[in-house]
Amino acid sequence: MTVLEANKIHKSYGNKFTRQEVLKGIDVSIDKGEFLTIMGASGSGKTTLLNVLSSIDRVSHGTIHIEGKELTGRKEKQLAEFRKHHLGFIFQEYNLLDTLTVKENILLPLSITNASKKEANAKFTSVASELGIEDVQHKYPNEISGGQKQRTSAARAFIHEPSIIFADEPTGALDSKSASDLLDKMSELNQKRKATIVMVTHDPVAASYSSRVIFIKDGQIYTRLYKGDQTRSSFLKDIMKTQGVLGGVQYEH
Amino acid sequence: MNTNQLILRNLHKNIKNYYLYVFALIFSTALYFAFVTLQYDPAMDETTGSIKGAAAVRVASVLLIAIVAIFLIYANNLFIKRRSKEIGLFQLIGMTKNRIFLILSMENFLVYFGSLLIGTLFGFAVSKLIMMILFKIMGIDQVASLSFSIAAFLQTVGVFTAVYLIIMLVNYLYISRQTILSLFHIKSKTEAREKRISIFEVVIGLFGIGLIALGYYVSSRLFSGDFTSIQELFTVMLFILVSVIIGTYLFYKGSVRFLANLIRKNKGGYLNINQVLSLSSIMFRMKSNALLLTIITTVSALAIGLLSLSYISYYSAGKTAESNTPADFSFVNEEDLSVFTSALKEEGIPFNKETIKVLVAKVKIDDIVNGSAASLPVEDGVLPMPIVSDASIPKLNVGENQILFTGYSDAMKQIVQFSSSGTIVLHTATQSFKQQYMGLAKEDVLSGYFTKGRPTVVVDKALFEKIAQDLNKELQFNADYAGINVQDEDIKIANDIFQSLEGIQRSGNSSQFALLNRQKENMGLIMFIVGFLGLTFLITSGCILYFKQMDEGDEERPNYTILRKLGYTRGDLLKGIQGKQVFNFGIPLIIGLFHSYFAVQSGWFLFGTELWAPMFIVMGLYAGLYSIFGVLSVLYYKKVIRHSL
Repeated sequence: MTVLEANKIHKSYGNKFTRQEVLKGIDVSIDKGEFLTIMGASGSGKTTLLNVLSSIDRVSHGTIHIEGKELTGRKEKQLAEFRKHHLGFIFQEYNLLDTLTVKENILLPLSITNASKKEANAKFTSVASELGIEDVQHKYPNEISGGQKQRTSAARAFIHEPSIIFADEPTGALDSKSASDLLDKMSELNQKRKATIVMVTHDPVAASYSSRVIFIKDGQIYTRLYKGDQTRSSFLKDIMKTQGVLGGVQYEH
Repeated sequence: MNTNQLILRNLHKNIKNYYLYVFALIFSTALYFAFVTLQYDPAMDETTGSIKGAAAVRVASVLLIAIVAIFLIYANNLFIKRRSKEIGLFQLIGMTKNRIFLILSMENFLVYFGSLLIGTLFGFAVSKLIMMILFKIMGIDQVASLSFSIAAFLQTVGVFTAVYLIIMLVNYLYISRQTILSLFHIKSKTEAREKRISIFEVVIGLFGIGLIALGYYVSSRLFSGDFTSIQELFTVMLFILVSVIIGTYLFYKGSVRFLANLIRKNKGGYLNINQVLSLSSIMFRMKSNALLLTIITTVSALAIGLLSLSYISYYSAGKTAESNTPADFSFVNEEDLSVFTSALKEEGIPFNKETIKVLVAKVKIDDIVNGSAASLPVEDGVLPMPIVSDASIPKLNVGENQILFTGYSDAMKQIVQFSSSGTIVLHTATQSFKQQYMGLAKEDVLSGYFTKGRPTVVVDKALFEKIAQDLNKELQFNADYAGINVQDEDIKIANDIFQSLEGIQRSGNSSQFALLNRQKENMGLIMFIVGFLGLTFLITSGCILYFKQMDEGDEERPNYTILRKLGYTRGDLLKGIQGKQVFNFGIPLIIGLFHSYFAVQSGWFLFGTELWAPMFIVMGLYAGLYSIFGVLSVLYYKKVIRHSL
């Protein structure tokens, strides 16, 4: 079943004279329960793509449907309503509110939807234990490690069981141990909860955790890779090979 | 690009950052210049007349510059913080700190003195208006003229240059203390981010509330007779001030956070949007905000208190004049009276005359005084009091064994409380009469010459005769009271006659109209100065809170981005922000109002006779004007939220 369907999306910035086209007609479709990675060099437009797919930014042309509902052309308020119920976000800079405890941060998406307190607590306990952050639930973001912050951010994205979770360089600010921890947890949640995840990264190791990788170059889709039945290490080799052909940022091992 | 171009470019680019600073500057210069112009205006010499008036204006102008200096330094601190990144960048490309300081100083110089000039012009424009207001308040018929005072201009420039130098010094210290790294990170590091609420904090909070309550309690006892000497009074006042201010600080520091935490704990981590934006953000910043809020609260309390007191005296001017001179004109001298009445007759002004015979006898009042009478000039509970017969006052009738006090001022009520009944002993030279005390009437019967702030004793005609037979000679006035009343429309002419007749304005004779005018003139100048200062207090404290909120808003902008990504609408966020602003602006206002209420309560009777109406008018006006800044800051947040996604 298709969760997200984007057709011929274009995005350009600037005015008539300084127009710069970042996305040049991209088609994507994402199935339920899929773990998709978007890869590309710096400036290839991968973050822009994530932003328009997740309704934070508007497309210049083209259409986006999520669960059969058209996103393009909707009003700001309706989009907020949509994000509230259907989308979850994980970002590179954690994006936690410094003023709230870990638990309060995680429960935020539920408080918008006016879920009952009991239900909220039950959901919190399950997602927090899955991500291993129960011990720090009463701490503030500045008191915990980067890995814990990012897992908090992930917990917040998962808690209200959204249709799609968007992750923008989630491992970007983490050391390799925390990064692999987080990715393990994410793919676990992806399998267990049948959660759909769209991740942007330029780290091939992170990409190798997903089931499909899309490469973007200069605003267009360059190629696609499917994991299929391969092991993660052989998928990683495929990804690195493609990245080498693609140019841009080289990844040395 | 050379340094000059850089300065101009910077100026051009930063004008958005600067506009509030510029506004603050223009505003304070205008205010100061207008005030100083007033000080140097020749017309003022006539109105203030006395040395006292001139001194009051001078003291006020010093106070004014103190407030303005603190305000400008605070505003400057906020704005230099906003430009920390730029300073870091300059350092990164190899500029020396001195060079950066020079650039900033030049830039600041242009902005500062440009605003100073505009402010002066603006101040010049409004100075006439201000003078007109002053004349109106003082009840002076004089046309305010518009003249540019060079002396005032020089003083303004001199004083503001001094402030500029102080600001530069602060900037210099700021820049020289910073490293490149810290300048880049300044925005995320300004707050102390300690979180745990300790028992100690709770104790501190409770202690703070205790101190405030103690201050209030002592203030209510201030003039109750417990403290008699000036030295004692002064010490106690100082004690109240210190205990309330420290209490307020501790209250903000401990209790607010504690209370907020209690609510939060109760929620078990499940906060709604309002709580996210208000409660948690307030708690988060309370530590560093406590001092600022304390200052704002104290300044507001001071302003409201002073304004209330001066307005009370202005408002009660009529009442005071009336209690001093119940009739339009009062006389204690037969000759003067006949000179005046014949002059009135000549002018064809109708009038009526009443004469009241006044005796003085010692009255033992300690039976009917509640509490201590130590503050009264009483020996052994015996007070010499003016006595009149009920026959000379048509409105009052007193029985043979009874006695009534009348013309009792509210101010006196605060010093000594009379019970509503009891027995009183009247002492004449050789005899004493035991009378039943009937209570207090408000009616003013005699002029201030006779009463000297004491109530007048009304007795039955028969008793009055008996007292007259057996007088204690040394206590008596050598005159009777005579009052002249004229029609309302004639009062001005009558007063002119009273003033023009030679020799009759001696002590004891008085004109209510002239007295009222003199009161208004005296009170008017004080009220004007206090009002001016109060307005400055109000606007500077409002601006500081607004700047602070601007700063917080910019700092919290990433939070709004996250929240909007999560699906909160702009409306949701704004609702939370409004809650926060109600707190940020409301709490200092409410506590300030409480402080000033108790301050006014403790000593208002020294200033006038009416309490509630003038106090509520002042408080309402202050709160209204103050709220404007709250609304402005909500509008600013609205903009930040709109641009956050």
